[in-house]
Amino acid sequence: MAKRITIDPITRIEGHLRIDVEVDNNAVSNAWASCTMWRGIEKILRGRDPRDAWLFTQRFCGVCTTVHAMASVRSVEDALKLEIPLNAQYIRNLILIAHALHDHIVHFYQLSALDWVDVLQIPKADPAATSKLAESLSPWTRNSRNELKAAQDRVNAVASSGQLGIFANGYWGHPAMRLSPDINLLAFSHYVQALEYQRKALQVVGILGSKTPHIQNLTVGGVANAIDLDSPSALGMTQLNQVRELLEQVVQFVQQVYFVDVCAVAAMYPDWFKIGSGVKNYLAVPDLPLDSRGSAYDLPGGFIRGGDLAGVKGFQTASDPVFRQSVSEDVMHAYYQGEKALHPWQGETEPAFTGWDGEQKYSWVKAPRFNGEPMQVGPLAQVLIGYAQGHALTKKYTDLAIDKIAAIGGVRATPAALHSTLGRHAARAIRACMLGELAQKHLQLLVDNISKGDYTVHNQPVLPSHEVEGVGTHEAPRGTLSHWVVIKDEKIKNYQAVVPSTWNASPRDRAGAHGPYEASLLHTPLARPEEPLEVLRTVHSFDPCMACACHAFDPSGRKISVAKIL
Amino acid sequence: MKTALIAGIGNVLLGDDSVGPYVLRLLESQYSFADNVRLADLGTPALDMTHQIVGLHSLILIDSVASDDPPGTIVFYRKGDIVRETPAERLDPHSPALSECLMTAEMLGASPEHVLLVGIVGKSCEPACELSEEVQRSIQPAMEAILQELQRLDFEFQKKTTPDEPGIWWGSERESGSIAARG
Repeated sequence: MAKRITIDPITRIEGHLRIDVEVDNNAVSNAWASCTMWRGIEKILRGRDPRDAWLFTQRFCGVCTTVHAMASVRSVEDALKLEIPLNAQYIRNLILIAHALHDHIVHFYQLSALDWVDVLQIPKADPAATSKLAESLSPWTRNSRNELKAAQDRVNAVASSGQLGIFANGYWGHPAMRLSPDINLLAFSHYVQALEYQRKALQVVGILGSKTPHIQNLTVGGVANAIDLDSPSALGMTQLNQVRELLEQVVQFVQQVYFVDVCAVAAMYPDWFKIGSGVKNYLAVPDLPLDSRGSAYDLPGGFIRGGDLAGVKGFQTASDPVFRQSVSEDVMHAYYQGEKALHPWQGETEPAFTGWDGEQKYSWVKAPRFNGEPMQVGPLAQVLIGYAQGHALTKKYTDLAIDKIAAIGGVRATPAALHSTLGRHAARAIRACMLGELAQKHLQLLVDNISKGDYTVHNQPVLPSHEVEGVGTHEAPRGTLSHWVVIKDEKIKNYQAVVPSTWNASPRDRAGAHGPYEASLLHTPLARPEEPLEVLRTVHSFDPCMACACHAFDPSGRKISVAKIL
Repeated sequence: MKTALIAGIGNVLLGDDSVGPYVLRLLESQYSFADNVRLADLGTPALDMTHQIVGLHSLILIDSVASDDPPGTIVFYRKGDIVRETPAERLDPHSPALSECLMTAEMLGASPEHVLLVGIVGKSCEPACELSEEVQRSIQPAMEAILQELQRLDFEFQKKTTPDEPGIWWGSERESGSIAARG
């Protein structure tokens, strides 16, 4: 008989995602993804000056601050048909890349790694043998016996104290955990080191954006950084050199540690290339513009339907007419009023809460659709869309990953194997390597452009009195983000944000099609249904983040079990 | 050198949840602090807060609190109240983040020696850019509690003779033109 398991909340980052699965014969037979929190912050924007929208949207989410600021200024610039000076494009691109590198590192080490790494096996590891193994995998200089021994001592101290502290929540000893004690130790020592490098990436955001976590340097039409090569208070050579040094260290960590760790996990868990595919429609938007008009980009976008890589269609621009016309949101199974799917410019957000009912309404997340179909977004979508179009940089790191996994584990993955839980992790690491290379490129472009004597950072926006519409997109760490604005009488008339986790955590639509989280869970084998580690692995592989929840500290917080069987 | 961080936490778009950033901006505008005291509006951080607190001597947080006490009540918590023996998953998204960040810092042997959370019980955390009257009334005593804690821990600060304009941009009127364009 089928059992129902509810996981609420599943994410260790800002919660409010709920997953329900039905389990039959130790495999998932049905799944529902839902968001338990009301989203309606967009309403606050109505009637405000569109030039201020980014300050507010940056506060939607505490994790994805910068990305909402950027999509917002881009939406208004699209509505006003504003060009952006080159310096501003490069500075924005550098901020976006640094933020994404930070985010990808945090996601793998702090959110996902312990789904695969069994911390309680670490006391059995041999630091000397681990160091030797590490040397064979990577030139990273911080894999010494001493460094590994120190990491092991930390775990020993926690384990022997009888209180597991931060590790009290894991599925230790679960039959789906399969790494050797040495690999567990190696990954754990990198989990500790990752804290340093994610911080360095954020320092780059702070230098260029004047503050972090909330950047201050944006403005509709460009950026507010004053460029002066000789002044210590403006953006000059001192700051640019600091950025260069920080980026070098972060890129080295990404290429020599993060990328290698993901390849090692993939090599040790090859069956996870066959689990977790789900929706094989993919969507990504072009990003990292190379000119002031936004007609050339360093990251390609487009869409793939039904896993058909050969049939990939590319987008020419970040607000491509096909993209503008094809997005709608369906509320058949979401707690909102409304009969038909609406384009975001016409979007409504009128609540109609009914309580969880898997047959009717069950989520606060709307169901975004692209030409009526659910789409998977995120690094996997971006990598597949780039690879299918023969994008050189995507191909370089994808092929490198396939080679590395084969060298470690003897299994040769194909690009088709990327439609999977492991594929999403591999794609994120591939993307991080690409971004690392592009960070250094865009820093050089900025330095070269300034050296030519171009100090322009801003074009003045002019608000028209007639009604205009705009869309601003960003290929964010979790995938395609789009902000849709309608401006009338110099004020915001309507504003809708279609965020990556809305695409991926979407509920069913009126045609009954599952959203990506839901579809990816179907048929997943569970070794112990009462400890659904396998469900967590797949959901975490999407990097879930359900934003804009209230954050009041709740000291008496009701403890709820991670998984309960109904 | 021993260092302190005073962090305002909360979402400025969600009514009383904005009280942390609000109090922080007021402190910044009315007082100047020694170099070893940092003030930060951290918004609604998750696990990425760990690197902000690692290695600190003292951490003072200002946040809204969900509790049965009447709105505006100020409640204090110390490290032991925040770090529970098990990081149980909770319905509330922020508290696991705060306790997990502290526990991670502890595992690294770099947890702040002193932690004080100044909590203010909120009335409404629905989307809005204003504080309820009840919460507004508790702002002054909350600020005093923070300053007292700094004094107790021997961190230096001074009242400014002329306070700066507090940067509470989210609370300004819709009709007053662009905040961003004003700079």
